[in-house]
Amino acid sequence: MNTLMRLTVANIRSLVRDRAALFWTFFFPVMFVFLFGWIFGGSGDGKVAIGFVDQDNTPVSMGLQQAFSQVTLLTIQTGSLEAEKAAMQHGDISAIVVVPSGTGVAVAAKSATSIQLYIDPSSSQVSQVVEQIADQIASGFNLQLAGGSAVVGIQQMTLQSTNISTVAYLVPSILAMALMQLGVFAAIPLVQQREKGILKRIGATPLARWKLVGSNVLMRLMVAIVDAVVILGIGLIFFNVQIVGNLLAAAGLVLLGAGAFLAIGFALASFLKTEEQATGVVQVVQMPMMFLSGIFFSFDFLPGFLQTVARFMPLTYLADALRQVMVNGTQVAPLGVDVAILTGWLVVCLGIAARSFRWE
Amino acid sequence: MTQSGEPVIGVANLCKCYGDVKAVDGISFQVGRGEVFGLLGPNGAGKTTTIEILEGLREPDSGSVTVFGMDVTRHAPSIKQRIGVQLQTVSLYPRLTVTELLDLFGSFYAHHLPTKQLIDAVDLGERAKARSMNLSGGQQQRLSIALALVNDPELIFLDEPTTGLDPQARRSLWDLIKGLQGRGKSILMTTHYMEEAAELCDRVAIMDHGHILEMGTVPELIGRRFKERAVFFDTSPKLPVEQLGKLDGVTRAAVEDGQTVLYSRDVAGTIGALLGLTDQLNIDPHNLGIRQATLEDVFLDLTGRALRD
Ligand SMILES: Nc1ncnc2c1ncn2[C@@H]1O[C@H](COP(=O)(O)OP(=O)(O)OP(=O)(O)O)[C@@H](O)[C@H]1O
Ligand SMILES: [Mg+2]
Repeated sequence: MNTLMRLTVANIRSLVRDRAALFWTFFFPVMFVFLFGWIFGGSGDGKVAIGFVDQDNTPVSMGLQQAFSQVTLLTIQTGSLEAEKAAMQHGDISAIVVVPSGTGVAVAAKSATSIQLYIDPSSSQVSQVVEQIADQIASGFNLQLAGGSAVVGIQQMTLQSTNISTVAYLVPSILAMALMQLGVFAAIPLVQQREKGILKRIGATPLARWKLVGSNVLMRLMVAIVDAVVILGIGLIFFNVQIVGNLLAAAGLVLLGAGAFLAIGFALASFLKTEEQATGVVQVVQMPMMFLSGIFFSFDFLPGFLQTVARFMPLTYLADALRQVMVNGTQVAPLGVDVAILTGWLVVCLGIAARSFRWE
Repeated sequence: MTQSGEPVIGVANLCKCYGDVKAVDGISFQVGRGEVFGLLGPNGAGKTTTIEILEGLREPDSGSVTVFGMDVTRHAPSIKQRIGVQLQTVSLYPRLTVTELLDLFGSFYAHHLPTKQLIDAVDLGERAKARSMNLSGGQQQRLSIALALVNDPELIFLDEPTTGLDPQARRSLWDLIKGLQGRGKSILMTTHYMEEAAELCDRVAIMDHGHILEMGTVPELIGRRFKERAVFFDTSPKLPVEQLGKLDGVTRAAVEDGQTVLYSRDVAGTIGALLGLTDQLNIDPHNLGIRQATLEDVFLDLTGRALRD
């Protein structure tokens, strides 16, 4: 095993054996996902909520409604088309089935007719499920009523759900928060190791300094990936938050975000002298970001002044980028801008750390 | 012991300031191959600063510093492969175990000794799986010494290696150091314990305020300052010092800590004359004794301070 790997393992061991550090890096974000998931999640049962709009009011339409509500995967709510569209746009439901007036008459006459299915093509997994279910129900109906000839067809309509559900908003946001804390909190063990003279002691060995730094970065990036898998996994399993975007792009963003905040942590460690100082300053840096960067509620709810403040915080852009890529969230800034800003923070803070970091 | 060939350490006119504080102020010395060299001096004398410059951890302000004949400021990486370092303050990853730390540090070097052998050398076998934060102070000190030996170095720097050790552990560390010297290792160490310097060091340098005040073997240093030996006894009002100063062989008489001390060139003559005098006065000198001057006396004389203040 080479030196870099051994050092990385040593860093991982030190982290895993440190209860406080473990709490902040893993349990704190996980706790938040559960907490806010339960508060805002509503149906945590993995079901897909759809709206059913009956404009026909015949035995045929009622039969269709019954058929949909018998599917265990679905929960059905009924209402006017306007109301259901609003609900879908708000992210409360994932699809709408509309039975237009005249359907019952057409079926009785065995002349072709169709029901409408509103889906959001950008949340493709849910849409596919709903589409398949609707197809099956329609063909079951045709078999039963018309001996197999295609009387009831499905007319697909698209409706962009501009607002994602609260939980879907929260999961990538909390991941962003976890990455921020992972990076910023890296300052504490660094300052600790300098204060205790560990960095100095290692300086007396032939170990190249980049390996010491590299092992720290490597360890934190590994933790970032684990954090991402755990948080997204909980989102998917317990709150049915699907990752719709490109996984590779998401992973890239996770690494970029972790890297940027790690650079901030290193830059902080360059200026902090004692462990107490580090613990204090790190909290002062991370707390406002946690509350102002649109993690727990949308950026738009902030008063104008605080929005301006939030626009200076790198976490705003990481959370925004993760939401855009993972759940099609509305954007605070275009993805390219998010990435550019995070890269900027990475480069500048790394430069500061490289110039000012003291080993002793 | 024997100084042969090129010295392993060469320091000439070394200076190092921290702001106004001249921590090291123009010192020069050499350490020969296989030699155990001791730096002695009161707190703040500049011992640690000197050692850490030699270890490549601090930049000298001026002067030349060579290790293995190479300039420390320019050849630090290759020097670091061949030296072992124990810092004055113990500095270990708190949550790694003894074994893990020795394995880790071993991996920093091109060549390293088996961890088991190192653990046995400092007698930490029972604590091999303990995290360093859970070791006692003395055990941490021993681990820190094992870490200094991990690369089987030719030159070992030990900054107060026995501070915090119990008498038994100190003895066993002395044996370890003697063993290292027996295998031809060179050692530069600091200590505040006189017996230790006298027991281990081939040569010592006494430092204060960044200067070297005196340098040589322990007998040399004592001989240079104190040609006399001391005759001492509990002070009695019937034996005034002024009178005692005139006894045979006495060069100086003084009262120190409730004892009368007669520094004498001729101990037999002085004692004979003293006993004659007490017979006459019909008194008994209490706690009469003779001693050689020690390194401690040299130290007091040079610095005006006890070694541990
Ligand atoms: N990093 C530093 N910054 C400022 N001053 C320092 C620094 N290190 C040492 N000094 C000062 O330099 C002087 C010499 O210190 P040094 O640590 O070399 O003494 P020492 O002989 O090792 O003392 P001790 O026996 O207490 O270990 C002291 O006055 C100390 O206060
Ligand atoms: Mg010192």
